[in-house]
Amino acid sequence: MIGVLGSHLMSGGHHIKEFMGMLSHTLTSIFRPPIRIKETFQQLFFVANGSLVIVVFCVCFAAMVTILESSFHMKIVIQNDSMVPGFAAMLILRELGSVVTALLLTSRVGAGMSAEVGLMKITEQVDALKMLGIDPVQYLVVPRLFACIIGATILTIVADITCIYSAFVISEAYLGFTPALFLTAMRRFVDFQDLIFSMIKGAAFGSVIPLISCYYGFRCKPGAEGVGSATTNSVVASSVAIIVIDFILSYIFSHFY
Amino acid sequence: MALPAIELKNVSVGFDGEIVLQNVSLTIHEGENFVLVGPSGQGKSVLLKLMAGLIEPLTGEVLIRGQNLKSLSREEKQKVVCKMGMLFQKNALFDSLSNAENIAFPLREVTSLSPDEIESTVDKFLEAVGIGHAKNLYPDEISGGMQKRLGIARALALNPEIIFYDDPTAGLDPITSRKIIELIIDLQQKNSSTVVAITNDMNRAYQMADRIGMVIDKGLILTGSVEETKHHQDARVHQFVRGDLEGPLMVMS
Repeated sequence: MIGVLGSHLMSGGHHIKEFMGMLSHTLTSIFRPPIRIKETFQQLFFVANGSLVIVVFCVCFAAMVTILESSFHMKIVIQNDSMVPGFAAMLILRELGSVVTALLLTSRVGAGMSAEVGLMKITEQVDALKMLGIDPVQYLVVPRLFACIIGATILTIVADITCIYSAFVISEAYLGFTPALFLTAMRRFVDFQDLIFSMIKGAAFGSVIPLISCYYGFRCKPGAEGVGSATTNSVVASSVAIIVIDFILSYIFSHFY
Repeated sequence: MALPAIELKNVSVGFDGEIVLQNVSLTIHEGENFVLVGPSGQGKSVLLKLMAGLIEPLTGEVLIRGQNLKSLSREEKQKVVCKMGMLFQKNALFDSLSNAENIAFPLREVTSLSPDEIESTVDKFLEAVGIGHAKNLYPDEISGGMQKRLGIARALALNPEIIFYDDPTAGLDPITSRKIIELIIDLQQKNSSTVVAITNDMNRAYQMADRIGMVIDKGLILTGSVEETKHHQDARVHQFVRGDLEGPLMVMS
C-alpha cells in the first residue's frame, strides 16, 4: 500500500517536474522570434470558431437549468423566487460561463491537440521539426497557447451573454419575470467587475488546456493505445486543473467583492 | 588535422532504466559513407538519433565537428543541427502540408530566401529526386517510394553537410530500393556530404558504404570496410552477413 502510494507520488513528482520544464520552455519561447501569427490565427479559428456553436448550445441549457432549479428551491426554502435573476446572473458570470466553456474546450480542443501532437510525436514529425532547426515547443505549443487564451476569453464572454439571455428568456416565459424586473434583480447582484473576473478565469483556463494537452502529446507512447491514453489523460488532467484553478481564482476574487 | 564529422566517446544510452547502448565509441570522417547494420532491435536507430542530437547520452560525449552537443546552448545546438539532415524510417513527412510545402517549410523557417527563390529551390529538389510531377499532391497521395524520395528532398533542403538515413529502403521493392540507394550516392557525391545510413539489406550496405558498423549486444562490434565486413571472423558478424539461421545471434521468430 505504502509502496503503491510512494510510486504514485514519485510519478506525480516526475510529471510536475517535466511539466514545469515544458512550461518554462514555453514561456521563454514566447519572446523568441519568429512570432507565428499565421499559425496562431489558424489555431484561434479552430478553438473559437470551431467551438462556438457547441458552447452556445450547451451554456443555453446550463443557464435554463440554473434558473429553473434556483426558482424551484428558493420557493421551497424562502417561499419567494424574486432573487432568482440576480442569483442566476451572479452564478453565470462567476462560474457557469467560464467553467462550462473551459470544460467543453477541454474535451473538444484539448483532446484534439493532444491527439495531434501525440501523433506527430510517434510518427517522428516532432523529431523532424528538431532536425530542421525548428523548436517544437515554439512551433506547436506557443501558437496554441495564445489561440486558446484569446479563444477561451472570447468564448467566455459569448457564453456569459448567451447564458444571461437564456436565463432572461426562460424567466420571462416560465417564471413570469418582466424584462425590467429581471434587469433590476440582476443589477442588485452583479457588477461589471464580475464580467472582468469571468474573462480572467476564461483566459486562465484557456492557458491550461494547450499546455496540458501538448505535454501529454509530447509524452505519447507509440500505437493507437498510446494516442488514446495521451488524449484521455490530457482531458482528465485539464479538467482537474480547471476545477482547482477555478477554486483558487474564486478565492482570490472573493477579496474584491 | 581536420576534425572528424562525428565522434562518439564511450557513449551509453538508456530508457526507463534499461541500457540500450553501452560504451560506444566511433569516429566518422568528413565525406564518408558510413553504414550501420545489425539485427532489428539492437539500437541502430537510437545510435543514429544520438548522433543527430535527438537523444542525449547517459554517459559519454557526442561531438559534431569537435563540438559537444550536450554543452551547447539551445541556439548553438540549433545552428549545428541545421547543418544536419535526416530521413526518418517512416519518412516523418508533414501530412498536413503538400509535397512542395514539405520542402518549402524548412526553407521558409530557417533561411532568408524570398518566396520566388523558395519556389525555385523546391522545384529543383523535387526534380532532383524525380517527383516534380507530384508537387501539389499530399504525402498520403503518393507511393512509398515517392514518399522516401520526398523525405530525402526535405532532408537535403537546407544543404546539410551531414545526412542521416534511417533505413531508407525499408518496405520498398528491390528495384526501388536500388534506385533510392543510387540517388543517395549520387546526391552525396554532388554535395560531398557525410552520410550515415542504416540498412538491414547487406547488398545495399555494400553498394553505398565506405565503412560498415555492426550494432549487436548494446555495442558496435565491428567497424570496417566492405571487405573487412565480408571476411570478419566474429561468428555473429558472419551469421548476420550470410543471413544464416544457425549461429550465436538470436533469431526472432
